[in-house]
Amino acid sequence: MVLSRHLKSIAKITAFVAILITALFSGLAQADWEYNLQRPVTEIAEDIYGLHMLIFWICVVIFVAVFGVMFYSIFAHRKSKNYQPSQFSHSTSVEVVWTIVPFLILVVMAIPATIVLIKMEDTTKSDLTIKITGYQWKWGYEYLDSGINFFSTLSTPREQIDQFDKETAQPQGENYLLETDNVVVVPSGRKVRALITANDVIHAWWIPAFGVKKDAIPGYINELWFNVKEGEEGIYRGQCAELCGKDHAYMPIVVKVVTGAEFDNWVAAGGNFDSAPIAENIEPVKEEVKAKEVSVGSSNSVIEAIVPSANAAEEALVTDADVSSATVLSKDELMSKGEKIYGSCSACHGADGSGIPGVFPAIAGSPIVAGPVDDHLDIVLFGKPGTAMAAFASQLSDEDIAAVVTYQRNSFGNDAGDIVLPADVLAKRN
Amino acid sequence: MSHAATAHDHDHDHHDHKPPFFQRWFMSTNHKDIGTLYLIFSLTMLFVGGAMALVIRAELWQPGLQFVDPHFFNQMTTVHALIMVFGAVMPGFVGFANWMLPLMVGAPDMALPRMNNWSFWILPFAFSILLGSFFVPGGAPASGWTLYAPLTIQGGMSVDMGIVAIHMMGISSIMGAINVIVTVLNMRAPGMTLMKMPMFVWTWLITAFLLIAVMPVFAGAVTMLLTDRHFGTAFFNPAGGGDPVLYQHIFWFFGHPEVYIMILPAFGIISHIIPTFARKPLFGYSSMVFATAAIAFLSFIVWAHHMFTVGMPLQGELFFMYATMLISVPTGVKVFNWVTTMWRGSMTFETPMLYAIGVVFLFTLGGLSGLMLAITPADFQYHDTYFVVAHFHYVLFSGAVMAMMGGAFFWLPKWTGHMYNETLGKIHFWLTAIFFNITFFPQHFLGLAGMPRRYADYPIQFTEFNQISSFGAFGLGLSQLLFVYIIVATVRGGKKATAEVWDKPDGLEWTVPSPAPFHTFDEPPVVK
Repeated sequence: MVLSRHLKSIAKITAFVAILITALFSGLAQADWEYNLQRPVTEIAEDIYGLHMLIFWICVVIFVAVFGVMFYSIFAHRKSKNYQPSQFSHSTSVEVVWTIVPFLILVVMAIPATIVLIKMEDTTKSDLTIKITGYQWKWGYEYLDSGINFFSTLSTPREQIDQFDKETAQPQGENYLLETDNVVVVPSGRKVRALITANDVIHAWWIPAFGVKKDAIPGYINELWFNVKEGEEGIYRGQCAELCGKDHAYMPIVVKVVTGAEFDNWVAAGGNFDSAPIAENIEPVKEEVKAKEVSVGSSNSVIEAIVPSANAAEEALVTDADVSSATVLSKDELMSKGEKIYGSCSACHGADGSGIPGVFPAIAGSPIVAGPVDDHLDIVLFGKPGTAMAAFASQLSDEDIAAVVTYQRNSFGNDAGDIVLPADVLAKRN
Repeated sequence: MSHAATAHDHDHDHHDHKPPFFQRWFMSTNHKDIGTLYLIFSLTMLFVGGAMALVIRAELWQPGLQFVDPHFFNQMTTVHALIMVFGAVMPGFVGFANWMLPLMVGAPDMALPRMNNWSFWILPFAFSILLGSFFVPGGAPASGWTLYAPLTIQGGMSVDMGIVAIHMMGISSIMGAINVIVTVLNMRAPGMTLMKMPMFVWTWLITAFLLIAVMPVFAGAVTMLLTDRHFGTAFFNPAGGGDPVLYQHIFWFFGHPEVYIMILPAFGIISHIIPTFARKPLFGYSSMVFATAAIAFLSFIVWAHHMFTVGMPLQGELFFMYATMLISVPTGVKVFNWVTTMWRGSMTFETPMLYAIGVVFLFTLGGLSGLMLAITPADFQYHDTYFVVAHFHYVLFSGAVMAMMGGAFFWLPKWTGHMYNETLGKIHFWLTAIFFNITFFPQHFLGLAGMPRRYADYPIQFTEFNQISSFGAFGLGLSQLLFVYIIVATVRGGKKATAEVWDKPDGLEWTVPSPAPFHTFDEPPVVK
């Protein structure tokens, strides 16, 4: 009995070690082994790459020279070779030389660094401007010239991330953690300026291949620019680079670079790769637009002032919102839709509504959820200042909010029993 | 009464008379015993913080979440750093200061022995509070050791516990620093002018001034966080007109000198070990002193290089880039002086010397990656990636921690009266140095290829280097058990050490017997 148990655990450990070794070696076979900065696709990124390699080689030369001397000394001046120690202890001329020479090397490094830096900070004469907003844990994009706006969240399935339970875990895909539901579309050969801010805590927007990284700070609007070279069209991926809480690793950035002409078509189509403008084609694209979480009715948002109100896409969306507000849905419909939308709530409040005690409140048994609908809608629509609870008024449609609130009130052991309709949400918005 | 009088007489007769256990270890005002307490505390914290590092490396063995959720992962990175910085490295050097400064300047004890006792005994309570925060709802602080607002404003009550703990550590550090300054400036033996002081004394004197200058700044920053969290202020909350970047400026005004607080005493230790084993005086003593002072001064005007990506004006970025690059000049002077001290010496390679050479070599590697980080346009790519993690572990582990290990082997015979096992010491050095590089060298590649730091999970192309790094980390952690074994074995027994221990070493500490008696230098020695 005892013996067999021992054998079993030994077998388990052996299997584990075998898996580790196999994993390591199969990894070796197909490994990327990327060890340097990603291939640059903008002029600035190329400059940075050149600067990086220049400084690197200067450092290598210094390192080899200094430690060449040291290791020679270690080899030659050792007691075991009966080397007699000399007793010199200072030399002003030598010390002056090794103060001045490094200083001159620094000047050599500083000149190109200064030139590149000045170029990087020049955000004037841009062809288009995108406002980028960091949220816990997604990115919001607004094309200030055309009014297109959307959110971009991680699209890697949860089953690939959670590997705690080998039964339910799925193997990771090629673009694991580097894929999003909506991608940022930018033209090549044009200077794109980005205005970067955040809604809650500090994030950082980073695309290594473009050579840009800037903090997204609430209350601040930072600027950066990039101009992807023509011929470098394709998909480029980056990640959030400033610790922003629990799901810091789960808010990637995906940028699709297209030609100028393709981009113009995309804009004309209201943010779809569909040749027809969205306003002439409301019915067919309606579902797709909703799926993309294009924001509507953002009554308290700054964006509205900037976006031309006559914009065809937005009109179409407002119509869409009105339609959905008036819709009467059954409880079942609301519940199944709400369950899907709750997926993004679950990052904080937990898939089972239990939250994280002391940090993120539970939905299960929450007094707000059990209390009046009005208070519940209030916190979902307008957030709770000073906490991670964001205002979802500008992020979700009336129907979405109605569904998710209904779902929360009737799940995880909550049994308010009532349902919330899009019309209630609309009323609360106003 | 008569009993007390007898004890007193007895004390005078035998300098090695020690009080009973409780009085000796809990009420001690003896610099050597307090030094020992600090060193034991530091070593304990090294293991606590190291265990957290292993949780981090275990989770990063593979992409996906296998062991911990990201919230707990963030607690690990945060508390690992706080423990290592404030619990392992800083108290470790205070332990060295306590043991060695009075012996080096020929003083009978630290100038303020009761305060010395107090500054140590604050620490166990401070760290109990910090570690206790794991058991409150929401767990320990999870916003990184930098505690950036507004993320910290979101945190649970553990953030408040962390703030209280930081205040206590700050009080402890400031008291320790005052003690060092008063001891060094007032209690040197006759004839020991400032420019005759051993390098370790010099580096600690300068470190102590840095501590007094910046610990209150950090205390101010976390107090502002506390009032933002609970008392309706909005220093850092944009919704109330506050400024999140202000926090970063205040934090790094503390944080950058803090980096030098952790490395200058290490430079001091190295400057003792190399001349001893090269059998040759330290090259360029006065330039070493001035270089240390120059580094300390520059450390106050480079803080914003930690925050190039916050969107500073171009002029600000240029200033901080140039100032940061300048630091490499005095640091370079130090490295050149060490190498020249070895040049045409008559070297032997006992464990402390191996550590000193390892530190010079690996710290310089970290210094050169620091120079790369100073180049602002390139820093936009390196910032907040594993390149930075690799850089600061090269300067902090293979700089500060390995210097302390070398210092421990160097002075262990003086402390215990026994020689440590040289073979085991060398094995420990090679294990530490090799596993350290396996752990941290691949992190340079990860950072350059684009892996952000403080990530519980990562894209699959980073898997291989992460596995190498995790493998190294477990080796590095396990190797430290050997360190503990060597120390325990040396305390318990071993070959008797002579007063000089090494081959004609320089310094007053080698004029007293080994182990150093409980009371030394009741009569001040005369330095010529």
